[in-house]
Amino acid sequence: MIKLENVSKIYDENIKALQDISLEFKEGELVILKGVSGSGKSTILSLIAGLSKPTIGEVIVDGKKISKLPDHFAASYRRDNIGIVFQKYNLIPELTVEENVLLPLFPLNLKREIMKEKAARVLEKFTIAHKTGVMVRNLSGGEQQRVAIARANINDPKIILADEPTANLDEKLSREFIAILRELKSKKRTIVVSTHDPLFFELDFVDRVINLEHGKLL
Amino acid sequence: MSKINFYLLEYAFSYIVRHKSKNIFIVTVFTLLVALLSSLFFVTSSVTHDLKERIAYKSDIFIQNYKAGMPAAINTKLLDRLLEIEGVTGGKVEVKGDYYFRAKDSNFYLYGVDAFEDQEDPLIAKLLQKYDLDDSEMLVSDNVQKIMSQAYYKEYFNFIKPDGSLQKVNIKDSFDVGERVELKNLVLLSKDTLRKIFGYRADEGSDITLSVANKNELEFISSKIRLMLPNAKVISKDELEQSYEKLFDYDNGVFLSLFIIAIFTFFIIIYDKANGLSSEEKREIGILKAIGWCVEDVLHAKFYEAALLSFFSFTLGFMIAFVYVFVLKAPLLGAIFTHENMLNIHDFTLGVHIDFSYILLIFLLSVPVYIAATLIPSWRVATLDADEVMR
Repeated sequence: MIKLENVSKIYDENIKALQDISLEFKEGELVILKGVSGSGKSTILSLIAGLSKPTIGEVIVDGKKISKLPDHFAASYRRDNIGIVFQKYNLIPELTVEENVLLPLFPLNLKREIMKEKAARVLEKFTIAHKTGVMVRNLSGGEQQRVAIARANINDPKIILADEPTANLDEKLSREFIAILRELKSKKRTIVVSTHDPLFFELDFVDRVINLEHGKLL
Repeated sequence: MSKINFYLLEYAFSYIVRHKSKNIFIVTVFTLLVALLSSLFFVTSSVTHDLKERIAYKSDIFIQNYKAGMPAAINTKLLDRLLEIEGVTGGKVEVKGDYYFRAKDSNFYLYGVDAFEDQEDPLIAKLLQKYDLDDSEMLVSDNVQKIMSQAYYKEYFNFIKPDGSLQKVNIKDSFDVGERVELKNLVLLSKDTLRKIFGYRADEGSDITLSVANKNELEFISSKIRLMLPNAKVISKDELEQSYEKLFDYDNGVFLSLFIIAIFTFFIIIYDKANGLSSEEKREIGILKAIGWCVEDVLHAKFYEAALLSFFSFTLGFMIAFVYVFVLKAPLLGAIFTHENMLNIHDFTLGVHIDFSYILLIFLLSVPVYIAATLIPSWRVATLDADEVMR
């Protein structure tokens, strides 16, 4: 369970990204955060991921106040619990598909066989295994998206956060991504998607749509 | 950071390759810096070692007679007077000097020996133990033998005396001077024969050398001799050492080197800082944090990156310097550092004598500084909120 309790986020120069927001996301729920640019959608994802801390309020995940976690624990919290799919994929173009997917595990210094096995499993799952040794910069947008999803799932995280995941995809690829989301939801993952893509609002497996405007809930 | 994480090491290596144009620039500057400074220190160590060896075989006090400001023969009777000076334990009249062989445009260093005299120089002492020289014979270095044979003097050599007549001396044998390159043109022959060649009388020599029991009294005894012999040039071993040091200007060399190291290292740092971390680099750190790396992991990878780059550059620079100085014999640099107008670099062996304390100094002033300059901006970025990647 994810809880945001009276959360405000104020950036430098007094930019109020979020104002006194309280939200709950239940386990296995798929929630869409809807709103125009600057409405605070990405800030909510970043707070849940522990990438930034709220100016006021608390972010609680499974009873842990993650906004209070020191860097080292916040990093392992992210690695073990969170998978993020970014709008711009945020892959490293000069690394291979396999290296990009395994990047979250590098600091763990696991045995090479274990790493290979994990990568093979996740690349197979997201149908990108045939590109294992290819540099990411040589992939199409859709393929890069699948690599980003594979990377987000390398550790079987409980929570998937997707930030404008279809912003750079055509409709066909967007529907492919939605199919992946459906599969992840069927596996009881908690999924929070920030988007203003209308494709998401007509989906039957979406549990809730939360509207945001100027950092406030509508 | 106790256990090597090969994944982070591979990531660091790939990072260097991915930013190759910037890193090639840094490696080039870094390597040049290390190569230049190591070369300076290699030349310094080697020449210093060489000079110390040369001085080691010199007498404590060297006296040369002057007439009208010109070097002149010295009377052997003076030796008895000099030996009476308190503190002087021994001495001898030397007969030696350069002989110019015009046909081959070469100088031979003729040194008169006497079978009954002790020799300070181990090479000469060893040769005299092996060979008995009579007045018609000489021993020549391999180099001299080569020069003489080029002029068809294979069995003997005709020295031209001051009156224009010839002094024929047979070549008894030749010898290898090894690393003692300063003796490469040495010719050993009897003092009496050499007196004839230089036109000295039987009671004359080229100089007198003295040994002194207490080295602390060298200066005092030298000044006594100067008073006694106002026309003589008196040089103590200490003064010789000082004049060599002045010639080489050892301290200034070290200072210059440190100055250069500072300039170059700061150039790298300034380059890095002026560029800071590019938005692409900042974004990459943000991505790494977003996917579960902590600040320590980021710094760990950055440490590997800086260490790989700086160790590689340092090693490459060191190797280039080694080859440049000890294999190629330091063209240009060696001549500058040994004041070519006064000492000829070809007189130095540039043997492998490395003062590792200076190499350590170069290492400490370059590698850790570069690593720090890489880690600090990365640490600054890594400790900031990584939510920029979400925007």
